[in-house]
Amino acid sequence: MSVLRPLDKQPGLNTATILLVGTEDALLQQLADSMLKEDCASELRVHLARSLPLPSSANRPRIDLIVFVVNLHSKYSLRNVEESLHHVDATFFLGKAAFLATGAGRESHCSVHRNTIVKLAHTYRSPLFFCDLEIEDFRATMAQRLVRVLQICAGHVPGVSALNLPSLLRSSETPAPEDL
Amino acid sequence: MYTYFYFSFSYKAKKNTRHMSLNQQDLDPDSSTDMKDVTNPEEELIKECEEMWKDMEECQKKLSLVGTETLTDSNAQLSLLIMQVKCLTAELSQWQKENPEIIPLNEEVLVTLGKEEFQKLRHDLELVLSTIQSKNEKLKEDLEREQQWLEEQQQILESLDVLHSELKNQVVTISESRIFDELNTKMRDVKEFKEKLLITLGEFLEDHFPLPDRNVKKKKKKTNIQESTAQLITLHEMLEILLNRLFDVPHDPYVKISDSFWPPYIELLLRNGIALRHPDDPTRIRLEAFHQ
Repeated sequence: MSVLRPLDKQPGLNTATILLVGTEDALLQQLADSMLKEDCASELRVHLARSLPLPSSANRPRIDLIVFVVNLHSKYSLRNVEESLHHVDATFFLGKAAFLATGAGRESHCSVHRNTIVKLAHTYRSPLFFCDLEIEDFRATMAQRLVRVLQICAGHVPGVSALNLPSLLRSSETPAPEDL
Repeated sequence: MYTYFYFSFSYKAKKNTRHMSLNQQDLDPDSSTDMKDVTNPEEELIKECEEMWKDMEECQKKLSLVGTETLTDSNAQLSLLIMQVKCLTAELSQWQKENPEIIPLNEEVLVTLGKEEFQKLRHDLELVLSTIQSKNEKLKEDLEREQQWLEEQQQILESLDVLHSELKNQVVTISESRIFDELNTKMRDVKEFKEKLLITLGEFLEDHFPLPDRNVKKKKKKTNIQESTAQLITLHEMLEILLNRLFDVPHDPYVKISDSFWPPYIELLLRNGIALRHPDDPTRIRLEAFHQ
């Protein structure tokens, strides 16, 4: 049972790797394609996984950013993500992990309440993105954002480190620090 | 964690080296005199990068010795916050300690870097330009639309004003007392006219239809012609009686012919259609209703 660690391997030259964890295979694949279409100075590598822990393989490069994708329409995806969270080293949550909630557009189909995922992201002090991955335009925009965040997490942006990300990406919706 | 920025510097340097090597080959492919200058900065950079890479490997070894730690929902927030504090203070102190290393200030290096930066800048500015241009277009369209709307509204306002002023002129101030006075005047005029008419009628009748002489009547008394001894009334008075009866009792406007009516005048009235006999009773006459 291996726990994913952020700095377990040496980084590749000018490469940035993102790991998308989620049960929605089709959506993850589409998001990966959109991300690879973005033009970016660094080489991008996208890995997809249904859940953690990953099968141990030495070929896997160092993961720079993990995005946990939760589909608000299915409680199973939320539970899957919650279980996967336990196989991630704590240092990932210092800015190298993020949550992405999809399906918020169709309120009637949502079985997971928005507040649940908001609380989860708040508990793990990680940024939370909302995006309907089914709609192409939103997906493209989200891919752009993720590529930028990934570049920062991989250290390709001078002056900004992943540690700054949680405070930079804090949205007005997250509860105030007094609620701790 | 505080090795992050090491990585960022090294990446940037490595990227530039690669770019630089390509550019330098483009810049001076054939000059032999500059060979030394050309290779030196490149070699310098590569040496620097190699050193940085070695540092990184050392750090990596140290890191691999650090243990792992997973979180549960209950302890996540607190432990993460404590970790964040530690890491951020470490990063801060590192930033404060570290002097930024400048890559060798070589002309080619600067030129390459400058070109890159300018190209990036140009690309961003072009994006901004196109965005602003499209925004401008939209705003122009909006402005035109709004102006048209304003014009239309002004036209409507003008025409409404014209209508308003017209109506204002037409409306005469209606006050009750004025109407009352008008009606009074009308009635007065009508009454005056009626009086005039009656007077004229009376004069006309006097002039043209006088009563027969009394003396003649007395003379003819002996000749056994039945002459009425009653006082004869003028034609005017006869007409008055008939007129009053017509208007007082409209459903029975008949007047009994009395002895005071001079028969020739009755005949005159009847023959000219001014008076009518009662259909059943020859002794009763009425005035013709000219007003109906």
